[in-house]
Amino acid sequence: MATNLLHYRGWTGQFRGPHFAMLSIARIALSQVLRRKLFWVLYAFGLLYFFMFFFSQYLLAWTESLPENEQSVNIGFFRTNPADFVRILRTTLRIDGSGEMYRNFFRFQGSMVVIILAMAGAVLVGNDFQFGSIPFYLAKPLSPWHYLFGKCLAVAVIVNLMTTVPALVLFIQYGMLTSWDYFVNDFKLCLGILGYGLELTVCLSLMLVATAGWLRRTVPMIMAWTTVFIFFRFLAGALVNGLQMSPHWRLMDLWNDTYLVGNEWLGVGADRIWPPRQPAVWEAEIVLGAVCLICLIYLTLRIRAVEIVR
Amino acid sequence: MALIELHNLDRWYGTQQALRDVSLILEPGRIGLLGPNGAGKSTLLKILMGLLPPSSGEGAILNRSLQEGGAELRRAIGYMPETDSLIPGLRGVEYVALAGELYGMPRRQALRRAHEVLSYLDLEDARYRRLEEYSTGMKQRLKLGQALVHDPQVLLLDEPTTGLDPAGRDGMLRLLLDLGKNHGKSLVLSTHLLGDVERVCETVVILHQGQVLRQGQVAELRTRRQDRYRLQIQGNPQAFVDELRLEGARVMDDNGRGELRVAVPAGWATRAFFALADNHGVLLRGIQRDDEELEELFHRVITENERDGH
Repeated sequence: MATNLLHYRGWTGQFRGPHFAMLSIARIALSQVLRRKLFWVLYAFGLLYFFMFFFSQYLLAWTESLPENEQSVNIGFFRTNPADFVRILRTTLRIDGSGEMYRNFFRFQGSMVVIILAMAGAVLVGNDFQFGSIPFYLAKPLSPWHYLFGKCLAVAVIVNLMTTVPALVLFIQYGMLTSWDYFVNDFKLCLGILGYGLELTVCLSLMLVATAGWLRRTVPMIMAWTTVFIFFRFLAGALVNGLQMSPHWRLMDLWNDTYLVGNEWLGVGADRIWPPRQPAVWEAEIVLGAVCLICLIYLTLRIRAVEIVR
Repeated sequence: MALIELHNLDRWYGTQQALRDVSLILEPGRIGLLGPNGAGKSTLLKILMGLLPPSSGEGAILNRSLQEGGAELRRAIGYMPETDSLIPGLRGVEYVALAGELYGMPRRQALRRAHEVLSYLDLEDARYRRLEEYSTGMKQRLKLGQALVHDPQVLLLDEPTTGLDPAGRDGMLRLLLDLGKNHGKSLVLSTHLLGDVERVCETVVILHQGQVLRQGQVAELRTRRQDRYRLQIQGNPQAFVDELRLEGARVMDDNGRGELRVAVPAGWATRAFFALADNHGVLLRGIQRDDEELEELFHRVITENERDGH
């Protein structure tokens, strides 16, 4: 090895606080994910729901603008009645700018978010444990919390890029297609969207960082998240709907818990929640809070247990 | 100002004592931390980095208290871990720049500094390669780079030559020596390779079962042996060796390539070697006092400690 002994130079400058390091950790974690083509494919799939809502709003605005005596219109090769269209869009997708519309959007979009996070978990966090990178981070002037928040920040960006940001775009679009009064009168919906997004961000980021720290690899991550978000969902449905057991069994379905709390954020009444026979919202809040707390405790212990110097 | 000052430091892991009453005062310089596995080297390094609090006792590194230093302490230190600690997918320059950012350097400066450090470490051509493509020697230098990026006063190096071929090891030791001698860096080199300490360090601390058995300048700790010589001879040594034995000398070691280690009786004059060589037609090419080697010192200290019943 020919070492170049002549070029070492010192450095003098001002160091910044450790909070900036969180941004660096998040940026690097995100860049790791964004470099993969699979992520972009999944992200494009994930945005299909967004486009469905986005173009449905346009379609609705267009059909509603047609003269009332217009009995049928051509859409491509098909002839259809605009009134039927309006009915389908209003009743099925609830494209009416209400809290229910955004609730539905979050619910549909959430399934794709879970798939993407399950796939990206190993890259975002698991690799640090798998390849022994934790000492690299913790030997720096950071606390384990800075590391954790940095990673959670990266997850938060993915979650919000897929849910909150598109939901806000839909909110703005609806207001622009209908009336400016919508922004004033329904401003609470905007806050509700941010609240629902925050709820998903906190829960999913903590769960992802904890499970990825535990399982490390992609396949076990997918299996674990499938169990939590799909198997438990079917199980809860079978117990409550099939065996007519107490609705409290639905609390094991974490996605349903986030949905219940999300309804609260968006001001959707209990009578508009599907499926019926649901536990109380406060019970779902307690379950989600407990899950987050368990994840935090696990992560604290996990990082403390890492051998910094072997 | 002492580099490291420890007073009666103890560290317990549950019921197991990892460090016992460790007291050290080490001046800035090149320090070797020697000890067999389980001696407490890693625990001591953790405490020096402010990652682990001592159970009792107190200490300071660069006048910063170990208990209160924390992040500030780690900013003054560059740590090169033994394990790979790499982040897969990153390029060399990104990895070193990230380390700089985590230390608190602004992003642009961290990147510029990463280029400088990689040039110094002779990794200029490999800086845009992904870390997975680096050889073991390059990875070791890269790890040194991430420890150097913020120009720390002290470098804690954990087994820096592990896994290196002779050329790579030589290069790494030359770098360390250069950093210590020419750039004023203080090094704490934790290793089980006595040769590394012998070549790089001025001061050595021998740890065994959590206790400091010896500390001081390498040259001072070695026993000055007045009765031992190393001889290099050319020609048939047999008659020469026989004559030495007749004169009362003991041949401790003969490697068969003309190198002898000899213990002589009291009152022996060095010129007697020349006279004997002359008598037997042997050319005496080299003669030097055979002071105790570090390896011998290490074994002697450990053996004495065990004999004393510790």
